[in-house]
Amino acid sequence: MTPPATRLRLALRRPWVARIGVIVLLLLLWEIAARWWIDPMFLAPPSRVFMSLSTVFETRGVPAALRITFFELAVAFVLSVVIGLVLGFAIGLQPFARKSFMPIVLLLYGTPQVTILPLFILYFGIGPASKIAFGVSHGFFPILMMVVAGVQNVKPILLTSARSMGASRWQVLRYVIFPHMIPSFFTGMRLAMTGVLLGVLLAELYVSTAGIGYFTTLFTQNFDPTRLLGLIAVLAAMAIVLNEIVRSAEVYFGRWHTD
Amino acid sequence: MTPSERKREKPLASRAVQITFLVVLIVLWYLATTRWKVSPLLLPNPVLVASDFWTILRTGEFIGDLRVTLTELAIAFAISATSGVIVGYVISRSQYRIRVFEPLFSAIYSVPIILFLPLYVLFFGLGPASKIALGATISFFPIALNTIAGFGYVDKVLVTAARSMGASDVQLFRYVLLPAAFPIILTGMRMGFTVALLSIIGSETIASLAGLGHRIVHLAEGMEMAPMFAYIVFVVAIAAILNTLVSALEARGRRHG
Amino acid sequence: MTGEAAIRVKDVSHQFGEEGEARHVVALRHTSLEVARGELLCLIGPSGCGKSTLLNVIGGLMAPTTGAVEVSGKPVRGPMPHDIAFVFQEHALFPWNTVIENINLGMVFQGVPRAEREARARRSLEAVGLKDFAQHYPAQLSGGMRQRAALARALSLETGILLMDEPFGALDEQTRMILGEDLSVLLSRTNKTIVFVTHSLGEATFLADRVAVFSARPGTIKEIIKIDEPHPRKPEFVTSEKFTTIRNELYRLLHDEIRKTMAESGMGAATGSVL
Repeated sequence: MTPPATRLRLALRRPWVARIGVIVLLLLLWEIAARWWIDPMFLAPPSRVFMSLSTVFETRGVPAALRITFFELAVAFVLSVVIGLVLGFAIGLQPFARKSFMPIVLLLYGTPQVTILPLFILYFGIGPASKIAFGVSHGFFPILMMVVAGVQNVKPILLTSARSMGASRWQVLRYVIFPHMIPSFFTGMRLAMTGVLLGVLLAELYVSTAGIGYFTTLFTQNFDPTRLLGLIAVLAAMAIVLNEIVRSAEVYFGRWHTD
Repeated sequence: MTPSERKREKPLASRAVQITFLVVLIVLWYLATTRWKVSPLLLPNPVLVASDFWTILRTGEFIGDLRVTLTELAIAFAISATSGVIVGYVISRSQYRIRVFEPLFSAIYSVPIILFLPLYVLFFGLGPASKIALGATISFFPIALNTIAGFGYVDKVLVTAARSMGASDVQLFRYVLLPAAFPIILTGMRMGFTVALLSIIGSETIASLAGLGHRIVHLAEGMEMAPMFAYIVFVVAIAAILNTLVSALEARGRRHG
Repeated sequence: MTGEAAIRVKDVSHQFGEEGEARHVVALRHTSLEVARGELLCLIGPSGCGKSTLLNVIGGLMAPTTGAVEVSGKPVRGPMPHDIAFVFQEHALFPWNTVIENINLGMVFQGVPRAEREARARRSLEAVGLKDFAQHYPAQLSGGMRQRAALARALSLETGILLMDEPFGALDEQTRMILGEDLSVLLSRTNKTIVFVTHSLGEATFLADRVAVFSARPGTIKEIIKIDEPHPRKPEFVTSEKFTTIRNELYRLLHDEIRKTMAESGMGAATGSVL
């Protein structure tokens, strides 16, 4: 019969147990701090946040806002993929186009887009359109760059081999270049999801009348940390789930990748 | 044209396309606002933007906002850099700790931490403190993660060799671990700096009373399009300068480190 | 020489770049050659002597600066997938496809009707001994098996001519030995014309009906050695006196050329698998 102390130590040997332990510890700290040290106007303990989650959803308009935000994320993501794919192929397949336009793309990618967030709102309004547009503007870059990279770095020997077997240009594109580019494409999608999340959420937090940004502002101004934390937790969970989906897809489709 | 001349001409051709592209863009912009009657509330005249930009520089009216933003950036980065390196180092000392904390940090970093801005605003108010706190939080992670990677994955052979020659812990750190980890940590710092700058400008845009991000929002709300565009150009330029500086420092550090 | 010439190389020269350019190099100089149907001709020579270039020219992957090539009486103007199949040193299998998918794809490119593909694929997999590995991905196979798969793909195209560019170059000696023996058996069963580039003297002696020895760059054929030994060649052939004599002759012809090449590239000692 192993004593409980030893059993605990043995259990802690596994990293995932320790990780959960760390999280529990942090939650405990938060709980203590929120209950006894910090003014309840500014911070709510996790227990209360968890208990009151239902009130977050019962707040009028929150479920609809969550739906709208999810809709914005989905549309922005799909548009990013389509635009990135089309532009990526257009630029990547032609070496001259790539040499001319990639520097411009890289330059645009490096600028802090958050400075033109007010412009997006001015142009697309305060509704979902501006959130989607800002999300797309963050999301299509990684796809474009990954598609260009994937198209461009096919091993020359594979192209030579296909040509020697009589492949037409279209067959080379369909059977060699396209499958080769798929792992990079899925990596691009993972990065695009991060970008879309950032863009849509930034725009929502800036100004929103029906999306979750409206409610984060509301809860902030009403000094309601309980519901604010609850809402943020829900959004964080949504972000984690979406990220996991694209990450799993990336791993699945990158199986054969030997380089 | 001989084949060799043809080869040399190619890089110039793509350059030409880029320049033509930019020129055409500016020309279209100018025509749009002057000839084609696009509303000045949507798109200001580029000439006005240029003159406003020059005025801003000349009168130095940007100083106040720039100072706020740069101060927030400096403090946030100072906090995240020191804490990131220290925490990263402590974690890197044990394989077990790395396996516990590294995935944890990666997972947290993959969530858009900007989500927590309302919380920080609730807690710290609309002043610089909330921006600094958010900037420090976000930039902590790439620095810590890179520090863990830098110190944690030093080639075992080097450590064994040093130990076999009698190196003490301090000597090991100074002559083996630090030089090996240094380039990777520098990269983490560069990433942290970039991300801190972005998040500070972002949080100034969303909820602030001062700073460059706020200035742009203020002008947008007043529909003062030309000065707003001028400030956008200004901020983009400042960001570009800062990022170039930091990248250059990183490159220099990697070469000599 | 038995039968009509399957391949005729007529005074081919090839250079890369223009005179006066830094990258200008004369790879091949006034090379002429005839390969009979059903024979296995080896091209051997020091690095950079143009043997791979000649192979690419024969196969239509490259147009020579001067001269011409005829294959089965037809002038070569580009890849001829119905007459010529390649096996490269880097296996050139598509890593995202299984072995059988790779073989099928080659036939798709060539234009083989769908009904025939399965039978051909099965035959070629059996011929190289990979019948049980059809569903494997290249990453799951050893180097030798990957080259077998590449060979199977080339065989499934059922061309009269096989051009092989150091196909066993990246493999260890033992695998090379086995694959060489298997190739000899294959040759005796089909009547393919094979042009085979190699660095290895032993390999050339074992496999070839004739060996064309190249000079150092700018490369041209220095001499052609005939090896009168029927296929399939037995492993005992390797230890026979005839083998040793021929191999020594090849060594004698090549040694100076190799030294010349190394001197040009600034290397003192002779390297490479000169067996």
